[in-house]
Amino acid sequence: MIRLLVVLIGALALLVAASLAFGDVPLGWDELYRVLARTGQAQMQSEMIVWDLRLPRVLLAALVGAALATAGTITLAVMRNPLAEPGVLGINSGAAAAAMGVIVLMNDPPVGLLQVAGFAGALAMALAVYALAWRSGTSSLRIILIGIGLSSLATSFTTFLSAFGDIGDVQRALIWLAGSVYDANMVKVRMLALWLIIPLILAFLASRELDLIRFGDHGARSLGQPVDLVRSLMILLVTLLSGAVIAVAGNIGFVGLVAPHAARRLVGASHSRLLPVAALVGAGLVVAADLIGRVIVPPAQLPAGIVTGLIGAPFFAYLLWGHRHGK
Amino acid sequence: MSDLKAGPLAGTGAGRLLALACLALLLSAAALGAVALGAATMPPAKILSAIFAFDGSRDHILITGIRLPRVLAALLAGSALAVAGAIMQAVSSNPLASPDLLGINSGAAFAVVSVMSAYGTGIGDLYVWLAFVGAAAAAGIVYALGSLGAGGHSPLRLVLAGAIITTFLTSVTTVVLIFDQGTLDAVRLWTAGSVTGRSMAQVKTVTPYILVGLITALPFGRHLTTLSLGADASRALGQSPVLWRGLSIALVILLAGGAVALAGPIGFVGLLVPHLVRMCIGVDYRWVVPFSAVTGALLVIVADMVGRLVFGSQSFPVGVTIALIGAPFFLYLARTRLRGDA
Repeated sequence: MIRLLVVLIGALALLVAASLAFGDVPLGWDELYRVLARTGQAQMQSEMIVWDLRLPRVLLAALVGAALATAGTITLAVMRNPLAEPGVLGINSGAAAAAMGVIVLMNDPPVGLLQVAGFAGALAMALAVYALAWRSGTSSLRIILIGIGLSSLATSFTTFLSAFGDIGDVQRALIWLAGSVYDANMVKVRMLALWLIIPLILAFLASRELDLIRFGDHGARSLGQPVDLVRSLMILLVTLLSGAVIAVAGNIGFVGLVAPHAARRLVGASHSRLLPVAALVGAGLVVAADLIGRVIVPPAQLPAGIVTGLIGAPFFAYLLWGHRHGK
Repeated sequence: MSDLKAGPLAGTGAGRLLALACLALLLSAAALGAVALGAATMPPAKILSAIFAFDGSRDHILITGIRLPRVLAALLAGSALAVAGAIMQAVSSNPLASPDLLGINSGAAFAVVSVMSAYGTGIGDLYVWLAFVGAAAAAGIVYALGSLGAGGHSPLRLVLAGAIITTFLTSVTTVVLIFDQGTLDAVRLWTAGSVTGRSMAQVKTVTPYILVGLITALPFGRHLTTLSLGADASRALGQSPVLWRGLSIALVILLAGGAVALAGPIGFVGLLVPHLVRMCIGVDYRWVVPFSAVTGALLVIVADMVGRLVFGSQSFPVGVTIALIGAPFFLYLARTRLRGDA
């Protein structure tokens, strides 16, 4: 476990360094060292590129990945369905509908409204799913089904707008929906970090409860767990984590699904090991996706959310089918 | 699936048969109504004469050239998607499964979008075949990935393989659409799911596949029920889960591939309708399959009719109206029919 963590942290550090060095203006490793060590010998231009442009972006990508992976791990445990990711709570479709509405229906929306709308849409959908699924208690299957129903309503709204909205607006919305971290700055990074830190710690502290709830409602209850309470708190955590990520980076899909499964392959099902490993895998995935999206077809940039699908999918397939003797 | 309360129709075989007959009657009425109603109302006698004694008049051309293909497309796509969804949910024992999980919709969209982007948007009827081939290829890859490896074939591998391929293809499609506005403009109505402007030729291209799929699916019900209990139970009952799962997936490719070629990716008919049916009549797939076929067709026809008559637009995407009509009903059932814990 320790060795695995060291390897993962090392890989993440390497990815971060590569993200700082590569781009439209490549920096040499020695130049990068001069900038990071603040030796004062680096060029002004490199200082600006690293500290103001690339570092916020890398940090934001890492935070987004870690948060999505944690939310995905929690959802997987609570819903007991291998396909469950935060999206089953309607979070992504709610955010997408709200953002699409803002982009297509409003002329020249004010800066920041998109973020607020994304978060509000996610939160409203998660609340609606939970409230509709509540009948003197909840059940995973009912939450999943209600999630499907409400998501299909929200998605039909999005589809309607994308079929009849102005084509330029629709294309811009498509980029936002794909999820990206391109307009990162240090203020955003700090805000997201502050917002995420408590849910992330709470999730880690709750790893024993997550281990229990995976056994199913009956098993967990007979082991003394207040199942409904734990489930609602966990759903709240997932909403806070993914809602904040959507607000700053749009709908980056797939990380919440792939990171927990990959982590489970690596360290097994116990959540005290699973959560940190999943967070590292998720962070690495989004950082790598953003790096590749920046350098693959310059000067155009592919949104990170798309690249997570492009590189995450084969990687995940390798994890699932490569280790024939793995767990 | 013990978490389902028995619905009002869960009783006897005779009761179910009666209910099925009523639904079928309702479906024929809806189909007739969909042909008859519109900007110009056609009396039933005229519809019959247009079909059997075509005289080339304006009304007859309107019926056979525009309304009938549209209604047939809705009928075929709706029933095919619903049955394919029921099969997928049985095969993967997963309530989140739908034909889309095999990569059907994303494969079709990928094929259509990439060819349009490379060769221009004027590819005419060719897109029907493109969608079908793309859907079948994606589903084949998903199935192959799902059965590879040491653990052999399992529902978990299948659904994960589906998620992987779907995500990958959707990402590629999105990349193309972000850079190619012309293609986006040409396919966005299609991706919303629509039966507008279907020609009889398109309907005829796809009909054999869907019909074969539907007819084969009917006697499959018994085996689907067994499959839905999981691989262990199915093996204990003497069934070969690998063989039947493979056959079922071939059926899904025929049905959902044909449907997506005809009407575009109207995803959640395949997701919603089987759940609706199970919540009403229980989990016996001998009944779920025919009920799904009729309910799916009914939903799509009515949704298309509502889009045309209420919203007054010929090109209102049927996928949107399906959600507007189907989802509230689905939510109501999910809330009332599923017991406390599961």
